[in-house]
Amino acid sequence: MSWHLTPAQVDEYVSSTVDDVTAMSVEAHLMHCPPCRSLVPADEAWLADSWADLRDIVDRPRVGLLERALTALGLRQTTARLLTATPQLYRAWLVATVVVLAAALLSAHHLPRGSLLFAFTAPVVPLVGVAVAYGRGVDPAHTLTSVTPLAGQRLLFLRSCAVLVPALVMCTAAALLMPSPTTLWNAGFWLLPSLTLVAGSLVLSRWMHLSAAGAAVGGLWVLAMVLFAATDQISVLELFAPVSQLWWAAALAALVGAIVLRVRPA
Amino acid sequence: MKLLRRARRRAPSPDSTDAVLLAAVADGSTEALETLHRRHAPWLRARLRYRCSDPDQLDAALQETFLAVWKNAGSFTPRPGDPDAGAWLWTIAIRQLISQLRKRANRWIADSDSEPYETIGDASAEDTVLLNIEHGPLGAALHTLSPELRSAIQATVLDGLTVREAAEILQIPEGTVKTRVMRAKARLREALT
Repeated sequence: MSWHLTPAQVDEYVSSTVDDVTAMSVEAHLMHCPPCRSLVPADEAWLADSWADLRDIVDRPRVGLLERALTALGLRQTTARLLTATPQLYRAWLVATVVVLAAALLSAHHLPRGSLLFAFTAPVVPLVGVAVAYGRGVDPAHTLTSVTPLAGQRLLFLRSCAVLVPALVMCTAAALLMPSPTTLWNAGFWLLPSLTLVAGSLVLSRWMHLSAAGAAVGGLWVLAMVLFAATDQISVLELFAPVSQLWWAAALAALVGAIVLRVRPA
Repeated sequence: MKLLRRARRRAPSPDSTDAVLLAAVADGSTEALETLHRRHAPWLRARLRYRCSDPDQLDAALQETFLAVWKNAGSFTPRPGDPDAGAWLWTIAIRQLISQLRKRANRWIADSDSEPYETIGDASAEDTVLLNIEHGPLGAALHTLSPELRSAIQATVLDGLTVREAAEILQIPEGTVKTRVMRAKARLREALT
């Protein structure tokens, strides 16, 4: 550029006191001349406001795929954000679940009476997930979350559901992959015991840490399994027989009723 | 990984060229966008003010301009040896202003998707002469033009608008824009030879 605008010319241009032709000339020059452009006075207050508005839009976090899927399923946006914001709480556990179920499937396909292992593990897998979903020592941010109004019952059940749904889906998928003929019964026989165990641990969590409650209930389940195996008189599979399912259903109803009663006054 | 990315993001300083800053914006750096905003918003605003007297619409157009920059920063291709993005930014800004004016004029008509932004490419010989307006004979020749012809020339040549866009911003039919530009160019040629 062979010539440059004088500050006076720029000022006149900005204050709209030049004639059309000079304005055209200035504009043609400004488009290609950064030094003259920097002479245009900046209204600092306006610039700051304008940038603040802009940053507000630009800085919005991108909504993740899972979060969008959850919102599409009808969850409130804040809830979806809450669930997806803590992937650390679920990721390790999800991987562990896959491994355990894969091992159970493998044994079912290759060992005699191996499908029993699946019958043992399927009810406990969701329980373990729920047990490590909430509480001190499990959640690194528990001290922070515990002082928010959201903490306590609501967050506990929210996280439990977030854990339960994928766990149940995975267990069902595993059940459908079992070597025995796939019927509705074979795919779902473990469901009621599993839900009962989870409900039991949630009820117990009133008096103890959720993880401890989960461990206690899970321990009971394992103990029962061992006892059944030791007595030899009744088969373990009796636990899943249609009559037992009725008992499980009754227990589940009672436990859910206890939970609801406990949440209601809160 | 994260450290590397952060290090790369820190790279553009307030003195970097537009091309470097735009590359950083394409990488997701808001600091680079802020620098660009600080550098270009004032003159874009001053220039848009000559085309629109409503400050709200003007600010909205500017905001849309920088949002478009944020989204399309990767599409900026500097001409060799010229990292300056002034012309590119202006084409975006003037089109955003037109789209703002259109929104106001007919809110019920869905806004069509704007075309991708291009830098003003090879100008014709006439245009090149016009773009180098100095205090020479061209200035005097422009003075002799009637305001209507001058505004037609300004919209099509100086602002780089298409005939349709010029018709929108000047609020006259497209045919009128064409004839006015032709007459203005003939008049200028006459005055310059």
